[in-house]
Amino acid sequence: MFEEASEVFDNMFKSSFPLTFIVFIPAVLILVSPLPAEAAHEFTVYRMQQYDLQGQPYGTRNAILNTEARTVEAEVLSRRCVIMRLADFSYEKYQKALRQSAGAVVIILPGNMSAMPQDIVQQFMELEPEMLATETIVPVYFAMEDDELLSIYTQTLTSSSSQGSLSAAEVLLHTATANGFQMVTSGAQSKAISDWAITSLEGRLAGVGGEDLPTIVVVAHYDSFGVAPWLSYGADSNGSGVSMLLELARLFSKLYTYKRTHAGYNLLFFASGGGKFNYQGTKRCTTYLDHALLQDNVAFVLCLDTLGNGDSLHLHVSKPPKEGTPQYSLLKELELVVASQYPEVKFSMVHKKINLADDMLAWEHERFGIRRLPAFTLSHLPSHRLAQRSSIMDVRPHVDVKKLGRNTKVVAEALARVIYNLTEKGAPGDLQIFTEQMVQEEQLSAVVDWLTAQPRAAQLVDKDSSVVSTLEYYLGRYLKDVKRHYVKADKRDPEFVFYDQLKQTMNAYRVKPAIFDLLLAVCIAAYLGMMYLHGGSHTRSNKTVSCLSAELRCPVQCPLNQHFVFFSLRTHFFPPKIKKL
Amino acid sequence: MTLFHFGNCFALAYFPYFITYKCSGLSEYNAFWRCVQAGATYLFVQLCKMLFLATFFPTWEGGAGVYDFVGEFMKATVDLADLLGLHLVMSRNAGKGEYKIMVAAMGWATAELVMSRCLPLWVGARGIEFDWKYIQMSFDSNISLVHYIAMAAVVWMFTRYDLPKSFRLPVTVLLALCVYKAFLMELFVHVFLMGSWTVLLVKAVLTGAISLCSLFLFVTLVHSN
Repeated sequence: MFEEASEVFDNMFKSSFPLTFIVFIPAVLILVSPLPAEAAHEFTVYRMQQYDLQGQPYGTRNAILNTEARTVEAEVLSRRCVIMRLADFSYEKYQKALRQSAGAVVIILPGNMSAMPQDIVQQFMELEPEMLATETIVPVYFAMEDDELLSIYTQTLTSSSSQGSLSAAEVLLHTATANGFQMVTSGAQSKAISDWAITSLEGRLAGVGGEDLPTIVVVAHYDSFGVAPWLSYGADSNGSGVSMLLELARLFSKLYTYKRTHAGYNLLFFASGGGKFNYQGTKRCTTYLDHALLQDNVAFVLCLDTLGNGDSLHLHVSKPPKEGTPQYSLLKELELVVASQYPEVKFSMVHKKINLADDMLAWEHERFGIRRLPAFTLSHLPSHRLAQRSSIMDVRPHVDVKKLGRNTKVVAEALARVIYNLTEKGAPGDLQIFTEQMVQEEQLSAVVDWLTAQPRAAQLVDKDSSVVSTLEYYLGRYLKDVKRHYVKADKRDPEFVFYDQLKQTMNAYRVKPAIFDLLLAVCIAAYLGMMYLHGGSHTRSNKTVSCLSAELRCPVQCPLNQHFVFFSLRTHFFPPKIKKL
Repeated sequence: MTLFHFGNCFALAYFPYFITYKCSGLSEYNAFWRCVQAGATYLFVQLCKMLFLATFFPTWEGGAGVYDFVGEFMKATVDLADLLGLHLVMSRNAGKGEYKIMVAAMGWATAELVMSRCLPLWVGARGIEFDWKYIQMSFDSNISLVHYIAMAAVVWMFTRYDLPKSFRLPVTVLLALCVYKAFLMELFVHVFLMGSWTVLLVKAVLTGAISLCSLFLFVTLVHSN
């Protein structure tokens, strides 16, 4: 058999050079040339959250996408990439796509989120936790809208929606004119990030007078959370809390530099990481006994969470404080300050017991509550379930610096009154310890601006990131003993696992359906066939009319062969009757 | 898009050449090697043109969107070398006029097809992205086949000693049209801002007109002898 084959090849080489050309050159080309990729449009997409918490998977489990785009209006969605705009997004549509086993979902977010109608924003905010609640097999991506993407969407929409009621001819025409889009992501499959360290920062101000001074701990977590990590800017939650923490650190560091205002309380400021993942940063610091926090004589722990908006303040406690304890006095001072200086603010205490059966802790203070440390959380939100705390819609305009400044002032005043024991000393309620100028709104606003300038999802803030180092620097300016704490998940039984490939480049390639290629092939075959028949009949007629002089043979007329129109012209120019022979 | 799409484009671009070769009777003359020689001459002439252009026409760094009329005209003038090349090929081949013309034109056009369209087709039409331009390119190769046959015919007529006086002017005009066709097309595109399909149509019409005229002249010339 092989001999025969080699014979064939030998003959091919010897006899017909063109054949070798036709056979071998394409073969070589096929072997060497890679498939080129020249994208119609290239854009950045942000993948939905993917993480495991306490062994429970959440979010999308897939990152690879290479399917054709459809909108949700199309009849068949299976193995297609469903693209939706935020304006048309609803949970039913999302569920429909997933039920029909779509290949992927791409949600297009408007470039200017704050220009969206409030009800759509609110609706999406409430859907975010639902989308994350269970694991999704297919990749879910978010993209920012631009003109190109919008045109891709509209073209897909027209081709998806109108297929049902057309005649065959219209469908054929449609396949020739309409564009399909093949969506392709460039990245690899997502995999778990090993040895991810969550960083927390602490700094302290030492009190004066005596060895065993009580310590007041102020805590705020700095990470943000949303349906897509790269889009979570977390302005109100918890950029506002961190900026208040930094402002408090600045104010009290000033007081603690003067001998006369140096109080008998240690102050510990703690910017915790992983707050949106069950307060991992705080957990570590309360679990490990070597940490100074538990050795100290803790007066109370004040957690700051979501304080940049609203006209109410809620003190969330897991156990109502008893009279005579420092926490009780803080509660009373807060009430007093709010009542006498800011009557427009509604202050209330919200009591919620720690539910240990729940997967997630409600507020950060519950981490301390479990360790029997007196703790509470201050927030303008009445409940921990509210969607504002974990939404990509929580962007810079959600923080009102004026209200943040006012809240900061309230907390600072109340803390100062506790530290200096002013009520017992008979100071009136409207005594202002910090003047208006001392709480600097520019400072707060600058910190919030900086925090919301980059996404701060826990998966993105590693120990070398600028967020951590800038925070550390900032704390170091006002506080002593600024330290970092790292939390790593246990290797064998990890409490949290993060995954990579959260930001990818997606290409939309313009494609045509396979039927289009077939149609094209038929058309080309018809065109070539016509040409061949024409040319063939032409030569044949020449042969039959052998009297036709050589001069008038087809080489001359070859330009004619190209087009059918010329054929009739030929008879005009070349009357078959030849005079000369 | 797919290999199938490449096959489509390839068939559209190459089969007319094949059909022309077979049906024009060139295959009966066993003219394959002559065509290859013509192709080699094409390569040589293109190389010379490129060297010439690179040496004497520095890249024009005008503002974007501004059309360098004179520069483009001068560059188009360099295409006169094509005429010389075609003449060279035809003068080296002994035979009847139409045989000479067909060999030169086929070799010339095929060489151009292989050199300037084969690779873009292979790279472009096979990619994921669909674009009409590869189909257009294939059509364009059909048009250029007609163009080169007409051009060769005009060159052949021009170089004949027994060309009647009355033929001299139209042949010269056609020659100029053949050389400056690309330049004219560019000018049209620039002035009328045409879409790619319109450009193709205009090109086809222009080429058709030129080839009809040259055919008419050729037939009359051959008849008159």
